[in-house]
Amino acid sequence: MAVFGAGGYSIFVRFVKGLGASTHLSDSFPWGLWVGFDVLCGVALAAGAFTLSAAVYVLHLEKYKPLVRSAILTGTIGYLLVIFGLIMDLGHPYRIWHPLIMWNPHSVMFEISWCVTLYTTVLFMEFSPFLFEKLKWKKALRAVHAVIIPLVILGVVLSTLHQSSLGSLFLIVPYKLNPLWYTPWLPVFFFMSAIALGCAMVIVESFISSVLFRRGLEIDLLSNLGKVLVVILSIYGLARYLDLSSRGALGLIFQPGFEHAMFLAEILLAIIAPIGLLIFPRVRRNKLGLFMSATMVVVGFILNRFNTSMTGMVRFSGVKYLPSWMEISVSFMLLTIGLILFAIAAKHLKIFDEDSPCLLPWQTCRDNVVCCLPTPAKVAIFSAWAFALVLIWTGVNDFARFKPLNHPTHTESAAKSEPNDLSQYPNLPKDFTFSKTDPDIGLVTFSHSDHFLVGAECKDCHEHAFSIISTDKKGAITDYHSQKYCGSCHDGKSASNDCISCHKK
Amino acid sequence: MEKAKGFLFDITKCKLCGACWIADKERNKLPIPEGDFTKDKLSENAFLEMDRRHDRGVRFSCMHCLIPTCASVCPVAAFEKTSIGAVIYHKDRCIGCRYCVFGCPFNVPKYEWDKPLPYVRKCDFCYSRIIDGKQPACAQACPTGALIFGNRDDLILEAHRRIRENSNYVDHIYGEHEVGGTSLLLISDISMYKLGYPGNLSDGAVPSLTWEVLEKIPNVVLIGGTFLAGLWWLTNRRNEVMQAESGKKDNSSDTESGSEGGGK
Ligand code: SF4
Ligand code: SF4
Ligand code: SF4
Repeated sequence: MAVFGAGGYSIFVRFVKGLGASTHLSDSFPWGLWVGFDVLCGVALAAGAFTLSAAVYVLHLEKYKPLVRSAILTGTIGYLLVIFGLIMDLGHPYRIWHPLIMWNPHSVMFEISWCVTLYTTVLFMEFSPFLFEKLKWKKALRAVHAVIIPLVILGVVLSTLHQSSLGSLFLIVPYKLNPLWYTPWLPVFFFMSAIALGCAMVIVESFISSVLFRRGLEIDLLSNLGKVLVVILSIYGLARYLDLSSRGALGLIFQPGFEHAMFLAEILLAIIAPIGLLIFPRVRRNKLGLFMSATMVVVGFILNRFNTSMTGMVRFSGVKYLPSWMEISVSFMLLTIGLILFAIAAKHLKIFDEDSPCLLPWQTCRDNVVCCLPTPAKVAIFSAWAFALVLIWTGVNDFARFKPLNHPTHTESAAKSEPNDLSQYPNLPKDFTFSKTDPDIGLVTFSHSDHFLVGAECKDCHEHAFSIISTDKKGAITDYHSQKYCGSCHDGKSASNDCISCHKK
Repeated sequence: MEKAKGFLFDITKCKLCGACWIADKERNKLPIPEGDFTKDKLSENAFLEMDRRHDRGVRFSCMHCLIPTCASVCPVAAFEKTSIGAVIYHKDRCIGCRYCVFGCPFNVPKYEWDKPLPYVRKCDFCYSRIIDGKQPACAQACPTGALIFGNRDDLILEAHRRIRENSNYVDHIYGEHEVGGTSLLLISDISMYKLGYPGNLSDGAVPSLTWEVLEKIPNVVLIGGTFLAGLWWLTNRRNEVMQAESGKKDNSSDTESGSEGGGK
């Protein structure tokens, strides 16, 4: 009730007073929790539907059939909530149909609106047999079954587009998003992580519903899914690593700051810990082990979406964004509505395959959940969570202490004349060697302390979230010599422009 | 087609008198804040910002990019790049997703956060004045010649001439190539980056980053669809063969779900 009261009030404020009054959004931070959670995560959490229906209907992996219905149900509810979230977030929600009429194929957002619309329709059709069964509409049922294969194929294609396009959304901000997350591969990463997240969601929701409805658990199937998860996560993790290293951004991971903590928490929860746990059959076959690992994946990827859409943008935008309580309450209300819808549907429609014997929840616990998990696994789970929490905590803490830079077009750049005192800044980073310069003429080494000594501040160069790395494309080599970068000081007047002062060879 | 227009802003000539600033307010019927006009930052009520940096006057406003990010990202094409160079906004199309605010590399579009049904606001290059054959209000108001209006090509030549003739200038026309070129060109005697303009922009147009992905969609749909259908056929066939070998049992797999549905 309280959830609905708070949520309802927030909706009221949003539509009467506007977004400024209900959210902490601003021109410098135009997208927040409603985009980051309600839309990005809502879509991602619905990924089980296309993953499993592809497995069952297209690949004929019939054994997963018992799981496919709940996945489709989650997907349908997920998309409904996404649409609701969009209605909250759009400035003119009653124009939500505009993209269908007013085309702009160059816009990722345009693609997304089409995907949402079409895929919601597909999901409804995939979902409709459950209703028709209940209503005993044999004809309609047969009609849907006749088209189910093309429908599923369409659904998979649409999902592929949609999941990846949520990543492409951020391709447009190479100068704003932190290079830890900005990569040309964003669409691929979003798609891969959606599949992993889909599998993890199926595990989590089977577990929850087994407790709620006191039914058995398809533990064989689910642990199989756990195996699949390990494979996908490994590929994903490897790809992320290769991407970071190829962009020369690996070093950023260790640059202190809240981004670093949030990044580590994300990687730990989404990739490292689950792989480390699920790789052991004993954990995989254990209810608690499986459930905890899957939950980690879910939380980890939610964190990933948060980081891509919010954490990574903070440094550039120069404002601290934390969602307002109204934004949180609306998101929370959506989540509650989703759970209620799921419970209602699961109760009245034939979602779970067999009406399995009632297992009392506490019985389940005592008999085979906690006791059966090997101690090292328990310790591992516990420490992974604890470590992630510590990381997030330090991240948030750091964030609180973080002094926003000015708006980038509003920075008083320091052309200070007095030299700095090195002792006032003991943590000055070490010398940095640009990896992309031509080895033949010697690598360019940037000395932080030398620059600091002549009066330069860190923010003189790094105000755009270390974007020298993020924009390091073709042609960048000569750019450093130009007036735009090093050359603006190293011009032979204010500072030496001898090759040897940077290129050591 | 008319030639693309542009502005040339010469930082060395600006005396920070504020004439352009007040002209912008009047032309767009914006409220005029009290106090120092250099403190008036870009917002839904300020399409033009004149800031004091390093004792120089620096102009910030929409750059009217040649390949505008804002127009590329908008799902409903609410931003239009007109043939004369102005990037204008059609408010009746906008759905309010704020992707333009998010995407613009110069952080120009501003949003009416305090309205229940908000719109995006920014400089429109005085589009209505230009098609009437007049200059944009701010350029007309400028008494020192720091801001001049004309054909973009001519302005680039003019800027190069000034740079060539006076060695004080930095040899760089900001906006000639940045993000594919902009209609507002700036020249200065110190680096534009020091004056607060983003210094890390490469010459490629930002929209190509997403277009490279988006243009693959038809292929993904066709190849993906065919691939999946093929997979379905293959696995279906394999199952059929296996079933035929093991004899009897149910028929194919997709009638199975039907019979299961009808069962209850
Ligand atoms: S500066 Fe920003 S708002 Fe202006 S045309 Fe370019 S992308 Fe659009
Ligand atoms: S806020 Fe309006 S103008 Fe901006 S991208 Fe969205 S629909 Fe287009
Ligand atoms: S061109 Fe017009 S709208 Fe744009 S800054 Fe100048 S006066 Fe304002």
